[in-house]
Amino acid sequence: MYVHIENLSFSYPKTPVLHQLTFTMQKGEILAIIGSSGSGKSTLLRTLSGLEMPACGRIHIAGETVCDTSRCTPADKREVGFVFQDYALFPHRTVAQNIAFGLHKTPRKARQARVDALLEMIAMTGFARRYPHQLSGGQQQRVALARALAPMPKMLLLDEPFSNIDTDLKHTIRLELASLLKKANMTSILVTHDEEDARMLADRVIVLEGGRIVHEERVVRTPRH
Amino acid sequence: MKRRINHDGPLFSLFALIAGLAIIVPLLFILRHLFEPSTDAWRHIRQIWLLAYIRNTSVMIFWTAFGTALIGTYAAVLTTRYTFFGVRVLSWMLVLPLAVPAYIAGYVYADMLSYTGTVTRFLRLVSLPQLLQPMTMAGAVFIFVFTLYPYVYLFVRAALKRQSAAYAESALTLGVGPFRAFFLVVLPLLRPALIGGVFLVVLETLNDYGLVAYFNIRVFSFAIFNAWFSFGEVVTAIRLSAVLLIMVFVILVLERVLRGHRRYTVHVKGRVIAARPLRGLARVVHPFCLWLILGFGFLFPTMQLMHYAVLTWRNTLNMTLFYNFMNTLTIALGSTALIVVIALMLANFGRFRPKGWKRAWLKATTLGYAIPGAVIAIAVNLFFITVDRQLYPLYRWLNPASPVLVLSMSLGMLVFAYILRFMAIGYNSIEAGYDKLGETFTEAAYTLNHRKLSTLLKIDVPLLKSSLFAAAVIVFIDVVKELPLTLILRPANYDTLASRIYEYASDEMIQDTGVASLILIMMSALLIYALSGPKKRGRSAHVRPY
Ligand SMILES: Nc1ncnc2c1ncn2[C@@H]1O[C@H](COP(=O)(O)OP(=O)(O)OP(=O)(O)O)[C@@H](O)[C@H]1O
Ligand SMILES: [Mg+2]
Repeated sequence: MYVHIENLSFSYPKTPVLHQLTFTMQKGEILAIIGSSGSGKSTLLRTLSGLEMPACGRIHIAGETVCDTSRCTPADKREVGFVFQDYALFPHRTVAQNIAFGLHKTPRKARQARVDALLEMIAMTGFARRYPHQLSGGQQQRVALARALAPMPKMLLLDEPFSNIDTDLKHTIRLELASLLKKANMTSILVTHDEEDARMLADRVIVLEGGRIVHEERVVRTPRH
Repeated sequence: MKRRINHDGPLFSLFALIAGLAIIVPLLFILRHLFEPSTDAWRHIRQIWLLAYIRNTSVMIFWTAFGTALIGTYAAVLTTRYTFFGVRVLSWMLVLPLAVPAYIAGYVYADMLSYTGTVTRFLRLVSLPQLLQPMTMAGAVFIFVFTLYPYVYLFVRAALKRQSAAYAESALTLGVGPFRAFFLVVLPLLRPALIGGVFLVVLETLNDYGLVAYFNIRVFSFAIFNAWFSFGEVVTAIRLSAVLLIMVFVILVLERVLRGHRRYTVHVKGRVIAARPLRGLARVVHPFCLWLILGFGFLFPTMQLMHYAVLTWRNTLNMTLFYNFMNTLTIALGSTALIVVIALMLANFGRFRPKGWKRAWLKATTLGYAIPGAVIAIAVNLFFITVDRQLYPLYRWLNPASPVLVLSMSLGMLVFAYILRFMAIGYNSIEAGYDKLGETFTEAAYTLNHRKLSTLLKIDVPLLKSSLFAAAVIVFIDVVKELPLTLILRPANYDTLASRIYEYASDEMIQDTGVASLILIMMSALLIYALSGPKKRGRSAHVRPY
């Protein structure tokens, strides 16, 4: 298994949030997590990315134990990409500078090439010098995705990526995102409120309630046009 | 394009017009007198001194800006991002140096480091020489830095508390460590707040007269006063003012440019970074540094003043001091009330994001804060004398024995000058409150058939209570501390605490300033406590520094 999570528990001081979660993922799989507000979806992503320390449990990603009882790799060493709910694009950097942000260890030439490739992938080649506030919601989301993919993370976590996007646009953007993730063969977890999102995008859906997995199902998809 | 309904009643428009005129016309007097023929004194100053004034002033504001930026940001980051023993007390106490006027700190430090001063005597006791020269440019910058850093501290702190954690966390998930993330992401996003705070510091530094006069540092405000007071050289004073205003203008432009043309309209909500405990050696070192900063800006000077007070209270705690205190209290309360009311009306006029000339007009009415006290003093004085000359027939008609100068001999001139200078502070604070409030409540009241004034009184004022309180506190403190305007524009034989302290110091009776200084500082300190001390939740929501 590419990702293996065992008995993962997490509490905020005085508030237990996640209880003994166990699940696995294959390379390239897209997993959707749905659940009501406060069920612990964001917290799960934060724990997986290293932004929060679990109380107990193990996390293996790509054949490496990134977290167990004895040690925990910090977020900046974990190589797990994260797309935040509001995208958190750095407002003082251009689109290109945002995408290049995680490539600080890459030599300049290779970095430039990578940024160009990603801009092409998200079909925003002409936008390199724009600032985030000059973009639409859907464009911002694509840039956030490109930024997270740039350092080639081992897996990608997306927290409610559609929450800022109008319903009219949502349909196209959803399809776009699914094809981008599949093209990159990126193992991803996607958090959403919306069951339709989950079924359109994911290979598998997990329902979280009160910090526990209450339901799990494989999505049987009618072939896309 | 969405069309906007015009929400401005004729009453408010008229009011804004008059307020604007009252502020702009006196400044035009400077312009008028600028074209009077040159004098020998001016030619002399221009050839020999002018460059030195420009250089000294620039050096002073540069280092003060640099020092306050460093210390203010350092203190703000530590108190918002880390927890350690005493952090809650420190986080409001670090504002207290605002209660200490730079001139008082200057008198105290100069005395402490003088041959017979506390510090020198102590060093002698342990056989160490005292090598510091306080009454120098470096000394003045030191005092400005430690009494003015709270402006930067307050601004940066507010910004840090608003900054979404998602920025720093994004950097982490992109493989950038916390230290680099701070400099690449957190700090750049603080830039507007940092520049805003430093900007106020620079304006305060340019405005100071008491400290630079005592230390004999040849900067503009000192030179203007000298020309006006000691030599009666109106033309020279006005020309120096004009040069100083050009510097202020450059600073205003610089602020605009540095603050950045990009508007950070990408709002990211969500959690802010949770404070982490300090670990290891840092647990001792950082709190120590913060207490030391507070010590330099507040604790050491006040302790020394207490000592002076003990030595001299028998001679200085008397009825005269009581009258000085009452004068300070009444004029500060009166001016504050006027400023808050006018600012509320103006903010009400400006709240629906006016465009074009209205916007420009509002900007103009709050220009006074950028203009150093020395210049405002001259402008207001010339203006009032002219008004008196025009009104003289009226005076004579009312009272045949009336002198020519009536208004310009009254307290009205001083209050007018305070309003001119501190309007922006009140206005900005209330405007910030309106910004947070939004328009819905007021619009709801309009739809319920309430008229403008009744809406203002019944809806806006109660909802803006904390912003109004913040505005009042800040204006009050500034009026109490104010020196240059008070010195020049007060009527004969009218003394406030500040002018009394100045007079003691001019007579080299530093220890006699003890009681008066302590009263002045404690008044402000209490208000700072009321404004930013430990408090119930929800209050701080409306309080934005300026
Ligand atoms: N910093 C915190 N301190 C204490 N409790 C917290 C904190 N952050 C979240 N919680 C609690 O943890 C629980 C899970 O929160 P989480 O943000 O993971 O929910 P969520 O499923 O993402 O909800 P939503 O759909 O609203 O985003 C909630 O009950 C919340 O109140
Ligand atoms: Mg969430």
